[in-house]
Amino acid sequence: MTGAGGLRRAAIALGGLALVAYPLVRLDDAYGQSVLIFAFLLAIMAGGWNIMAGFTGYVSIGQSAFLGIGAYTVALLSLRTGVSPLLLAPVGGVAAALVAAVLGATVMRAREHAFVIITIALLFLFQTLALNLEGITGGSNGLTLPLPTWDRDIQNLPFYYVMLGLLALSVLLSWWIRRTKFGMGLIAIREDEDKAAAIGVRTSAYKVLSFVASAVLIGVAGGVYAYFLTFIDPRGMFDILVSVQLVLAALVGGRGTIWGPVLGAFVVVPLNEVTNSLAAAEGLHLFAFGLALGAVVMFLPHGLIPTVQAWWSRRHQRQVPWERRGPATTVERAATAAVEPGRALLEVDGLAKRFGGVAAVDVCSFTVREGGLTGLIGPNGSGKTTTFNLVTGMVRCDSGSIRFDGRRVDRVLPWERAHLGLGRTFQVTRLFPRMTVLENLVAPLRTFSWPNLAADAVSGPEAQRAEELLDFVGLLPLAGQPAGQLSFGQQKLAELAQVLMLEPRLVLLDEPAGGVNPGMIQRIAELILELNRRGITFLIVEHNMPMVLELCDPILVMARGRVIAEGPPGAIQRDPVVLDAYLGEGWGKDSRPSGAPSRGSPDPSAPVEV
Amino acid sequence: MARGRWKVAWAVAALVLIGSACSGGDGDGQATGETKEPIVIGASLPLTGEFSQPGGAAKRGYDVWVELVNEKGGILGRPVRLTVLDDASEQNTVVADYNRLITRDKVDLLLGTFSSLLNLPASATAEKNRMLYVEPAGGAPALFERGFRYLFFAQQATAPHQADVFVDWINSLPAGQQPKTAAYPTQDDPFAKPVIDTMRKALEQAGVKTVYSTTYPPETANFDTIANAIKARNPDLVAQGAVFEDGVGLVRSLVKVGFSPQTLFQTSAPSNSDQYAKGVGEANTEGVFYTVSWSPEATYPLNQEFVQRYQQKFNQVPEEDAADAFAAAQVLQAAAEAVGAIDQDKMADWLHANQVDTILGPLRWDQTGAPQSDFLLAQWQSGKSEIVLPKDVATTDSVVLPKPDWKTS
Amino acid sequence: MTHATETLILGLLAGGVYALLAAGLTLIFGVMGIINVAQGALLVLAALLTFELWRRLGLDPIAAAVVTTPVMFAVGWAIYRLFVARIRTAPVSMSVLLMFALAITIEGAMGLIWKNVFRSVTPGYFSQSFHLGAFFFPKAQVFGCLAAAVVLAGLWLLLTRSWAGRAIRAASQNPQGSALVGVDIHGVAALTFAIGVATTGAGGSILSVLYTLFPASHYLWISRLLGIVVLGGMGSLPGAVAGALILGVAEAFTATYVSTRWATAVFYVVILAILLVRPQGLMGSRLRGDVVT
Repeated sequence: MTGAGGLRRAAIALGGLALVAYPLVRLDDAYGQSVLIFAFLLAIMAGGWNIMAGFTGYVSIGQSAFLGIGAYTVALLSLRTGVSPLLLAPVGGVAAALVAAVLGATVMRAREHAFVIITIALLFLFQTLALNLEGITGGSNGLTLPLPTWDRDIQNLPFYYVMLGLLALSVLLSWWIRRTKFGMGLIAIREDEDKAAAIGVRTSAYKVLSFVASAVLIGVAGGVYAYFLTFIDPRGMFDILVSVQLVLAALVGGRGTIWGPVLGAFVVVPLNEVTNSLAAAEGLHLFAFGLALGAVVMFLPHGLIPTVQAWWSRRHQRQVPWERRGPATTVERAATAAVEPGRALLEVDGLAKRFGGVAAVDVCSFTVREGGLTGLIGPNGSGKTTTFNLVTGMVRCDSGSIRFDGRRVDRVLPWERAHLGLGRTFQVTRLFPRMTVLENLVAPLRTFSWPNLAADAVSGPEAQRAEELLDFVGLLPLAGQPAGQLSFGQQKLAELAQVLMLEPRLVLLDEPAGGVNPGMIQRIAELILELNRRGITFLIVEHNMPMVLELCDPILVMARGRVIAEGPPGAIQRDPVVLDAYLGEGWGKDSRPSGAPSRGSPDPSAPVEV
Repeated sequence: MARGRWKVAWAVAALVLIGSACSGGDGDGQATGETKEPIVIGASLPLTGEFSQPGGAAKRGYDVWVELVNEKGGILGRPVRLTVLDDASEQNTVVADYNRLITRDKVDLLLGTFSSLLNLPASATAEKNRMLYVEPAGGAPALFERGFRYLFFAQQATAPHQADVFVDWINSLPAGQQPKTAAYPTQDDPFAKPVIDTMRKALEQAGVKTVYSTTYPPETANFDTIANAIKARNPDLVAQGAVFEDGVGLVRSLVKVGFSPQTLFQTSAPSNSDQYAKGVGEANTEGVFYTVSWSPEATYPLNQEFVQRYQQKFNQVPEEDAADAFAAAQVLQAAAEAVGAIDQDKMADWLHANQVDTILGPLRWDQTGAPQSDFLLAQWQSGKSEIVLPKDVATTDSVVLPKPDWKTS
Repeated sequence: MTHATETLILGLLAGGVYALLAAGLTLIFGVMGIINVAQGALLVLAALLTFELWRRLGLDPIAAAVVTTPVMFAVGWAIYRLFVARIRTAPVSMSVLLMFALAITIEGAMGLIWKNVFRSVTPGYFSQSFHLGAFFFPKAQVFGCLAAAVVLAGLWLLLTRSWAGRAIRAASQNPQGSALVGVDIHGVAALTFAIGVATTGAGGSILSVLYTLFPASHYLWISRLLGIVVLGGMGSLPGAVAGALILGVAEAFTATYVSTRWATAVFYVVILAILLVRPQGLMGSRLRGDVVT
């Protein structure tokens, strides 16, 4: 791959060199320079938008507000202090970042469609504020800046190079974010926000940080742009059409990619120029623009770069070797906390949850002891998955208490519960389909800290640990594949490995054997036993009775929202209440264990069929 | 993955190189010394977008001027050619347009665009390149506070002084007829608002009490609440800083509310004769005052020729914006002919020191490019616009005062 | 006191018309989850069509609703089949972008056809008022409000008494369930969208008398409508009416007692406040609370 990578780097360098050299080669072409300056500006704005909408999945149609905020801040400061706006431009970035931080903190509670509307309203609100607060902003008269003082022969050059530099910074920022744990978390939020919270991603903080990152460079660019125009007014600086333009640019190039916004800007700006000079009829420009946006949304929603990549990989398909694996290799890791077998790790008391008229969980109480493998069985609709949701925090309970490791957690947010050591897998696996398996494993966050967020996800200790875990479950050869392409059984293994990244104390497994062939069931059971031996407590919901009876002790039985029985496998099998509610009268007469090993050590020579 | 990005970089580099090749010197060269080479004048106008209505009118004005000038032998014996670009009422486009006209097309002379909002950045571009910039429609004070040398505004006065002629007239009335109280609703517009602000201060000094004053955003569509508030205060004079549809809107609301002031003054709106009369109802135009830069009846030199040619070409009476554009071109022509050459610096100096006769009347400027004359005061009388002041071009001796009540039939 | 009451009257009359305009928007969202930001542009389009009918045929604008409503119904149907049907499964943001593109395209088309010239429709009564004591009721506003009420009532009847209406409501609450009981989901979606756009026909006709028209004014209208629909609760027709009346009055009072400049800000502030504090608005239904953030 290094050959192609080297070629790519060379090509990017060549493109960059061409842009740097261009104004020196054609010094007197102020027009060409000004077109390129607009292209750089649009690319910077599209790149910022891409961090919020491409990586994190929150689409804003008001991003150009930050341009205006930067422009006004810098213009006002420059007029008051007399310092050149170019030097003050970073302050515009700070202003934009502050506004984004404050807005983010309040606005991040909204989900997708609300967020879009909110950003439109914010843009118009800022425009209204700029218009009405004339004392500060000059109102509709706008603000005029003095002409640049440098020689007229190089008039546009400083703007050109500053903007080009900002563009380089913007690409660098996107690239850096994309390869950190923080970036993984953002994409996780985009793909499945609730699942992201379940694996420890502090969604609110991540979203605010992403919003700030998307705003800061736009603010700086705003300051530079104000000086370039020498005149700013509310309508020009808080223009919804500019917002739509930058969205179009990012979409055309490829949302969620690094270079997509840049490519898109270099397509949109020249097209703009062409239609402007052609269009003599009124409204043709808008008409064409609307058609272009509509066409991109309908026919090229992923943008040029991903479409080309997809076409390329369809043409050049590769086989990924996936051979049968031997036993799980055990790597010794220091235990993080002393495991006290028998101590109550999870205490659920009087838990209740209603959905409208249905009491899904109805005064449910049980205890899970540390070090054990507790099973949870019961008929469909008995409330098992809802209980899991309540315990992990995806759903808020109506009443009752949940204690984890002695601490009350029923009001604690899901990601914090994950940080405390509570992990969970899903009945239908919820991996992030468009991230690779490795990236899926790097996304979980054990604790929220700056070094943790900035940790490199592609190489470095986090990636190493992820590879170890992948090796443990036997999926290492598939590390670079998009998770959505794995088979169902492989996804179960991957999700288990993902949860293990949290170094959990208690793992809730929701039907680990559901929809999986017997060979894989055996594998999963082996892994569970091995992990349990290393100190992880399990609470397993399952319908595969032989597996439950072999693996778990004690077994809890739920029916109609509450625990109706609890005890060792032998007792449960014979308990009349359980037989009546779930197992059925014929149970136990001729059942045979199938596939699941006993609680002894796993058989090293058993082949695993997948 | 690598290949895709590789393609991107090549595409970028290719685009840049193609772009530079395209912009490579195919602009019109400026021939030196050859007398038959045309003089190329470049301008950008809002032919589409928010200001497209006046933008289109301005283009027609420029076109008529080119035709008349070329029939008379052009400027300095050379034919005149006009290049007009569309800035779509967008600021960044207008900057790019003038950059292109100056550095790529290398035009000989420039003419300005419409609206202060566009002329502000455009004039900066011209100033950076030390080219003369005569503009037909941008009178906001901010334009003249930057100490530009090459900027000239081709109307009689800047926005704050547009209504001076009306204030003077009020002050000239006998005490019994002067308004005692006044209301000043104005749009938040950099052209209309300064007019009303200056008028209000001047009238307050003259003893007219301000009973109501409000600024409304441009997109305001329903004026019932404002009309209601005005009615509650019962002013003698209502002076509105209107652009167009708000002028019509306020009159309609005043009719609905049932309040008719003794004197009604509006900026801009009443000068759009056909549309204004249709909008408010012809009977309701009676007695409305406004100031305007031009009148089709004025007897200033070349005005009648302009009106006739315009009607011939476009089948309608010229709009004020078209006349302003014509006048701007006249200014440019006068400077070139006086100096005897296309020399930006000399032309600018000459304009600072001299007066130009245009179809708007004589124009002269101060050091900042702000013009120093007075607008025309006009009034609707019997369904027609009449010029009341200045006397030398007045079309009527009488003035309708007080304004009659609304006709709501 | 008279002044305040008059302001209240004007606000309610304006709100009554806003209610009709917002009804279509909230209906589309309720059934299809699509925020039709092109509703403002469609409104202006209908208003301009009314203008043409009035100019060429002398047809009274409010009566013209009889013509524009079916025309806009057809337009809505076409838009659904050509554009919206393709992105039904796309994420919300994509559908908003597409509707935005549509709005801009319509704005451009209107500019091409009608030019950026300000139009107003001026039938005989447009500047007359009914007078009751010290209060005046502008005739155009009153007729507009009455027409809006009639159309809204018709819409309500359609939704509650007809089979199509029940199908629409069923589809909005449970698409899969409705499909299982024989409701043609795609047909219902197309119908709903078409009805939602048809309301802009009547609404636009009324608009043409009350306000001057201009292609770019659709931004202002969609801001108003979004504010109303968010306040009332997206998907709730009674909510849209309540929201429209409340915001109509709020706008009037702000314009009178604070300043006209801050009047439109009322809508933006409402959007932000409601979506942050109580996203389901006044009467929207709270979805099953499976989600905790």
